[in-house]
Amino acid sequence: MKIISRIIPVVMLLAILSSCGFDNFDAPTSTLVGKVTYNGSPLNVRGTGEAIRLQLFQDGFDKRDAIELFVGQDGAFSAKLFDGQYKMVTRDGNGPWVNSRDTTIVNVKGTTEVSLDVTPYFLISGENISVSGSTMNASFTVNQIVSTAGIDRAMLILSKTQFADDVNNIFRQDFSDVSAGSVSLSADISGNNDVANAKALYGRVGVYAKGADQAIYSPVVKLK
Amino acid sequence: MKKNYIFLAFTAFLLTAITSCSGFLDQDPDKIMTDDQIFSDAVMIKSVLANYYGRIDGKEWGMNINNGDQIYNQSVIDDVAKFDGGPDQRSTFEDDRFRTYDYTYIRNINEFLRGLRATTVLTDAEKRPLEGEARFLRAWAYFNMCRAMGGMPIVGDEVFEYESGMDITTLQKPRATEAEMYDYIISECSAIAELLPVDKQTNSARANKWTAKMLEARASLYAASLANYNNKMSNPVKTAGGEVGISADKAQSYYTKALAAAEEVIRSGVYTLQDAKPDNKARNFYEATSVKENNTEVIWARDYKYPGQTVEFTKINIPRSHAEDIDNSAYGPTLNLVEEFELIDAATPGQRQKFVTEENGTYKFYESASAPFAERDPRLWGSVIYPGAEFKGAEVVLQTGQLVKENGQWVTVVGDLDSKDDNGNLLTSFNGPKESNEQYINKSGFYFRKYMDETGLASTRGRGSEMWWPRFRISEAYMIAAESSFELGNGRAAEFINAVRARAGVKPLATVTFENIVHECRVEFAFEDHRFWDMKRWRLADKVWNGNNNDEQARHRRLWPYRVVAPGDPNDGKWVFVEDFLFMSPNARYFQMKNYYNFLNMDWINANPNMVKNPYQ
Repeated sequence: MKIISRIIPVVMLLAILSSCGFDNFDAPTSTLVGKVTYNGSPLNVRGTGEAIRLQLFQDGFDKRDAIELFVGQDGAFSAKLFDGQYKMVTRDGNGPWVNSRDTTIVNVKGTTEVSLDVTPYFLISGENISVSGSTMNASFTVNQIVSTAGIDRAMLILSKTQFADDVNNIFRQDFSDVSAGSVSLSADISGNNDVANAKALYGRVGVYAKGADQAIYSPVVKLK
Repeated sequence: MKKNYIFLAFTAFLLTAITSCSGFLDQDPDKIMTDDQIFSDAVMIKSVLANYYGRIDGKEWGMNINNGDQIYNQSVIDDVAKFDGGPDQRSTFEDDRFRTYDYTYIRNINEFLRGLRATTVLTDAEKRPLEGEARFLRAWAYFNMCRAMGGMPIVGDEVFEYESGMDITTLQKPRATEAEMYDYIISECSAIAELLPVDKQTNSARANKWTAKMLEARASLYAASLANYNNKMSNPVKTAGGEVGISADKAQSYYTKALAAAEEVIRSGVYTLQDAKPDNKARNFYEATSVKENNTEVIWARDYKYPGQTVEFTKINIPRSHAEDIDNSAYGPTLNLVEEFELIDAATPGQRQKFVTEENGTYKFYESASAPFAERDPRLWGSVIYPGAEFKGAEVVLQTGQLVKENGQWVTVVGDLDSKDDNGNLLTSFNGPKESNEQYINKSGFYFRKYMDETGLASTRGRGSEMWWPRFRISEAYMIAAESSFELGNGRAAEFINAVRARAGVKPLATVTFENIVHECRVEFAFEDHRFWDMKRWRLADKVWNGNNNDEQARHRRLWPYRVVAPGDPNDGKWVFVEDFLFMSPNARYFQMKNYYNFLNMDWINANPNMVKNPYQ
């Protein structure tokens, strides 16, 4: 009798300890890192608000939910995953590039690097952004990549953090009559107290292609 | 001895076992009814139908005035801002905002139709209007789904049954195309119209023939403008299978249907544009939308009645100075909406006109707080309480501060709420407006009037308001007729839009442009859950709500009144106004391309792989 009363707590303790792990899984340990590129060079896009996403699918499961990858403003993305084969696509209609949605097969094992090549409508190069007094000046080259694409609008953007895009900013002005080639724009920023009081200032330019849901940007330039 | 006990216990048990069959536990549930119980009783049938009317005002069914959640829905667009507490960081639109998806509701209605058609307690003549009402509500549910997500599975009258072992794939219906969905709603409505009564219903709470016709007209107009404006975008929103997107060649026939249905309602004469007070157009417009007695305007409304069925709108939004309980000033209109109301003697009628706040390098001085507003479209008074306007017989004082002269320069002085200066002049009024993170303060300079209940105790927590929520008004029939006439180019657009404008008390339009129609809908139907859907179907939403914080259309703005206190100055006692972005809404409204259609919930797709995802999903 005495032995039994000693055994029972031991058994219970064992049950409690060993029961952990039955319905728990280890967290994924492999890492997928990559960049959205055109001809090997990463694209500058909007990196806030989960605006640009890629989707990963894995075959052979009940659920069809995608694993969402959020693209940063330098075109980089990363995810913690289990080892295995994944299918990567861009999200439908999302991004400043041609909506092709071709599948890229990704074999994740340990740390895996991948680059997703897309065809942007436009690219921005040679940006020169400055603020002098109450004017913001920007000159840059809009390179037409897709010959049929048209420019909907160009944007001059100022931000007080290094995250600068069409939503995350303290100043934005849109210009609708812009065509590809070398562009020079200036905007009046007088009367904008946020800009006047900003301790740090970052500038960026962006171009929306007609019909695209996101803009392509220049790299972020530190102004102050 | 032991044996005796056992025998006794056994006998006792046997006795209990036998007598317990008296059935005192064996009662029929009083909350779960069988089909037989319901459909053998005419009163029960009616109360089941009433349940369906009550189930369509949840927050996913669009804007409403029912409770805090639904009133917050008003502030997701550009007409209304939140005053309650600190700033609302809202900018983008959720993927499930106003996403109606209620197949439980549709199934329940189909069960009801099955029972109704089989019952013998009602004559066929009595069944017809009930069937019409149930089918109308079902069409309304499909319409709400369609405007949010495009084509969804149409299940008809079928009540699906599942038994274990059955092939589940037979129940997995694919999505209908968007055009099929609108066609179904339109054909249902025109069939239902023949079943329903033609007379007005008490407080317009139940559907009649004209309600069905209005839904037919509205659905046709939505389908027509999708076919028209979606295809004019540089990258039309559509799916390969047509679940989203209607081909452009269908626009003409949809516009024709919309015009025909709207004209039928107008010509019936059952409802008329309410114009009972020709000498007080402002009051008249308020009564046309917000007073039930002698109303000739409202065709279908969610009615409320105390006790039991009341709304919070009046309670949470009443001006602080008029509050009857703790709550007040939770939301209010923005300047974006208020300046849309044109001047009565506008040089170019039918468009937005900004307020003049500066002139000759200084402030523009107005004779009274209400002066810049009183010269505008009378519908402004009927929709919005502006500074100096009257509510329930007492003035609503809105004063941010004073404009005083210091060393020959005008400067503004602001105090605490309900504060006075040294000479006893009011500095800042009890209502505000004021920049603050606290609640119960006006922040834009405007309060609601439309749907604000003037009944005593309507703003108390204990009672609540009986204000209705109109879903269709006769003026919508005129606006649908005007818009479809404009698109069809039949030359009759001015006739319809000017009927609405004449009732409102503004100048008629000689020619009608698309911008005139957008403008008219915005001022006529302010806070009535039209604008969000209008902007979507016109494909204007992504252009106007562009997320640019420097854009004065995309971001909420305010207009604050200051009283001039400068004894000896000719402007002493006058009023000036200062316009600015609204502190409570630091971010501009940002409607992205993906927001034209809600995303489908992945649970639905996992359960039914035949459902196609929406664009951008």
